[in-house]
Parts: sequence; structure tokens; C-alpha cells
Amino acid sequence: MKYISFFALFSVLFVLACQDDDYNPTRSENITTTIQFRAEYDNTNLAIQSATYAYPTGAELKATLFQYYISDLVLLAADGSEVGLSDIELIRYEDATADNIEERTYDVPSGDYVGLRFGLGVKPDLNATDPSNFAANDPLNENEFWNANARYVFAKIEANADLENDGTFDTGLSYHMGSNDLYTTITFAGNFNIDGDGDPQLVITADMLKALSDGTNTFDIADPDKQRVHGGNQAVATEIWGRLVSQFELSLQ
Amino acid sequence: MIKPRVLGFWAILLCLTGCQPALPAPVAVSEPEHFAKILYPEDNPTTIEGLALGKQLFYDPILSVDSTISCSSCHLPELAFTDGRSVSVGINGRIGKRNSPGLANIGYLHQTLFWDGRADDLETQALHPVADPNEMGGSWPLLISKLRRNENYWPAFQRTFGLIEIRELTPDHVGKALAQFQRSLISSDSKYDRVERGEADFTEVEKLGHAIFFDLADEPDPEFHGLPTGECAHCHIPPHFTNQRFFNNGLDEALLLEDFKDIGRALVTGSVYDNGTFRTPGLRNVALTAPYMHDGRFNTLKEVISHYNSGGQYAENRNANIFKLGLSPDQEGALVAFLHTLTDSSFVNNADYHQ
Repeated sequence: MKYISFFALFSVLFVLACQDDDYNPTRSENITTTIQFRAEYDNTNLAIQSATYAYPTGAELKATLFQYYISDLVLLAADGSEVGLSDIELIRYEDATADNIEERTYDVPSGDYVGLRFGLGVKPDLNATDPSNFAANDPLNENEFWNANARYVFAKIEANADLENDGTFDTGLSYHMGSNDLYTTITFAGNFNIDGDGDPQLVITADMLKALSDGTNTFDIADPDKQRVHGGNQAVATEIWGRLVSQFELSLQ
Repeated sequence: MIKPRVLGFWAILLCLTGCQPALPAPVAVSEPEHFAKILYPEDNPTTIEGLALGKQLFYDPILSVDSTISCSSCHLPELAFTDGRSVSVGINGRIGKRNSPGLANIGYLHQTLFWDGRADDLETQALHPVADPNEMGGSWPLLISKLRRNENYWPAFQRTFGLIEIRELTPDHVGKALAQFQRSLISSDSKYDRVERGEADFTEVEKLGHAIFFDLADEPDPEFHGLPTGECAHCHIPPHFTNQRFFNNGLDEALLLEDFKDIGRALVTGSVYDNGTFRTPGLRNVALTAPYMHDGRFNTLKEVISHYNSGGQYAENRNANIFKLGLSPDQEGALVAFLHTLTDSSFVNNADYHQ
């Protein structure tokens, strides 16, 4: 099986993500294409609640929620144009009975592509909107905002931790991140062709552990001041956010 | 000269159309601007006839096997459509399993319904109590037979759904009519709403409770820095004060997930990890809907706040946002005061909702 992975280039210059979608009229045929969003913990399939995960500090975790918004998902065409796939998506893993893959399906013009780009979070113009402006079942009205008139929560990581290794997962960890300053554009470079014949499966993978620990620096979940980030203490969130942004991976399978 | 067979065609057409029941008249239920619109199912738009029929059915004990229990027995408008009991009481005094949920803005909840989410929408939710032995105790074939023979209901169903033959009346029509009435139950004029619209101001105590409810201590504005956070709005998100999802909020200790007596959502999903999780209830008019929780274990809002302030009981699936809050008695009281601002007297007194 062909398997190519691309690591992301990321930029906090969110202006890039605000460009209008540039549909190329020379591409006449649309191909129904599914993008998989895969969640992992330490390179294994993320299992909500049912798995016990080792944390680098020696604690153990049970994951209860991992979710993030992406804005302006686009494919980068070989001719320099861009194909907009979606303004906003909410990718959420919270169901112990579900697998670790969320899928989204789009109509994509056939052609050669050289990359994919999205903004992690809710882009500033949408982040300034009232959720009630959107339909009740819109991703932007999924009750993921600080309050009715405030900004959206871009990403959430929640887990229960066993810090003392006594078999009880009695320390809640709740990291809710989001602000215009955190919004980050992530770009993957990599060549692929979509023509409806043996097209590659595009897989975007996010690893919950890698957002908390990059192998060198590990978020100290035993510190009571670092067991939750809600709203204003986003300085604490920045450390997690930085790792979350940098660990995304695109693979073609 | 018009040919006889053309005349015959028009005569037959006239007869056919004349025999058709009149089409029900669509009605646009007024909705506040600051709510995202109700998602109406394509096959059940609200009509004048359906709204009237749904209301009539809602208040009629004909739905129960012995004609003693109506929907309104457990959903009283003066109590924001709850019943004031820990758990509902059905026919012959049978004790139910769960606390009767309020119906304010129920039409806006487009995900699952019931504490365990066993109904996907209002149309199917309405079908459950009729055959529940602890609620209305009957059966759908029996009820449909009664409604078909009823001299008031059959014509009403005919008008509402364009039915022609009596055998066309099914439980789905009952569910649809009840859903139409329930979608009209809209609460949007509490003090909280008026403050949001700039038409009123919170008292100092209400303002403090509002700040704790929405974790304003975490906000850049320093006005509330230093306050504890209530963590309420992770789940109780305005405008309907629910995120419609399922959580274990630490009510019962469960060293093993199998220890929960009422497994809640797991009854539907079959997943042990959902044991002891229940749907987040909306809080509009919550001061009128005591007692609280899925089993009505708390008699007052003060008890509810004290529970959350304590951090709740251990279970490995307890929501990570349930932890000791450190609220003082005054701060607990302020939260209760804020919750009282969600009372909408124009809703509970709305004559359109009463029998």
C-alpha cells in the first residue's frame, strides 16, 4: 500500500487562510472525495474511555474528549489555484462506541494537487459571530463557545488521570483553547492526483499525546494550576496549542 | 362545441377535488430573533389544525389506558411543564423511573430527547409514554382504535393530516400533532433575556451569580478576577442552557462502572462507558422545575449548587469539569439568584399553552 506522510508547515499568519476560494473552471469533472480525520494517542488509535494510556510522567490517562475546529480547508492545485472544500468543520471524538476516524466528503475537481491547507481553530471573521446566527445543527452552533456572545472554543482535550497509580482516575484534566491569537494556518506540501481512478485516501492525523508531550517537553498534569485551561488562562494553553499545531500529519494511503 | 367526454373529464375532476379534505393551514410560530430557528421536520410543518389537535391531545387523558393520565399530568404549564415530583407517577399510582423534564424550548433541542436520549425527535418521543406500564399503561392499537371511533378526534385528524379513510390514522399522526404543540412552547422573556437585550439589569447578587456561572474570572476583564469559577456553562450553554449531550456529573460513587443503579444513556448505547451518564437538561425556568436531577434527588437549587461545589462522587467517567469549586455560601446563593433570572412568567402564564 502506498503510504506517504507529510508534515505540516504552520504559520500564525492567519491572513493566508482568509483568501477566497479560487475554483479553476478548466477542471470540469468533480470527484467525490473523502478525507479522513484520524485521532491517535502515542501513535495508536485513540480509544475514548476504553483504553488506559501511559503518560510520560508515569501517570495514566483515560481520554474522554478530543476535538478541534478547522477553518478554510482547501486543496492546493498544481496550477497554483486553490479548491475550497469547507469553511468550517468540527472534528470531535467523544463516543466510546465509535472508532477514531471522522470522515468528511467533498466534491473535488479532478486534477493534480500539491498540498492541502487549513486553519486550526475558528477563523477570525467567524469567531466574531454569534452562534445563533447559524442553523441549530451547524458546526458553529454546536455549543462550543465560551458564552453566547463570546469566542469559540477552538480545541478541547479532556481526560481523567490516575496520578498516584492507585487505579482511580480521579483527576480531571480539561484543556479548552481558543482565541484569535491562537488561530494558526497549517499547510501540507505533497503531490497527489485525483481523477476517480485509484485516488489516494487523504488522512489527517492528530495525536492527543503529542499535544501534551513532544518527547522532550511534557505538560505537567500533576500541577493543580495546569489541570484545566478555560477561557482567560490561555497562557497555559499556549504550550499545549503550540504542540497541537505542530503534530498534525497528512498521509496518502 | 365542447365534446361530451371533455365535459365528463371536468365533471369527474370537480367531483374528485370536491371530495378532498381541505388542506391544513400552515402557521409560523413566532420565534425570538436571538435563537437559531427551530429545525422543523419536512414532513411535519406546524399548522393551525395540528397545533390545536396537539394541544387537545396533550391535555386529554384519553391517551392512557384508563383515561386518568394525560401528558399534562406530568407536564404542568404552571411548573414550566414539570410535575413537582421526584419521579413521575403513572396510572394506578405506579411510580416511574425518572424525573419529568421541563418542556420550555423543547422544540429547539434537535438532538435526542429523554434523560437517556432514547428518542431522536419530538415525533417519536411522544410515542413512548402511551405504552409505558409506569406512565399511560396502554397500547397503541387500543389507543388508535379509540381515536378512530372518537367523534371529535377522527375529524380533527382528517383535517390536520388530510386523511381520507379511517384506517389511515396511525400512531405517527398522534406523535406529529403532539410535536407541533410542543414546538410552540417557547420561553424567551426571562430577566436573563431582558438583560441580554439591554432592557434590564441584574441585581448585584444576580450579577455575581452570572459571573460565576459563566466563569468570568477567566476572562481578560479584571472585574471578576479572583472569583471561583462555576464551570456551569460547559454543559448549560445559552440560549437554551443545554448542550444536549450526555455526562456523568458525579451524582453517585461508582468504583466500577458496573456499579451504577440507573445506567442512563447506556440503556440506549449498550456501552458500559455510558453508564451513569444523562442528558444535560435545559435550565430555562429551572426555579420552577424542582426537584432536580434525573431522579429528583435534590429538592432545591441550593442542594444542586452544593453538589457541584463539592466536586461530586467518584466514577472514572465523571466529567472532567466536575471538581471542587470552592464557592462560599454567599457565592452559592448568588448562583441560585442567577438561576432564578431564568424564570419567564410570561411563558408559564401564556394562555395559549394552557388547557
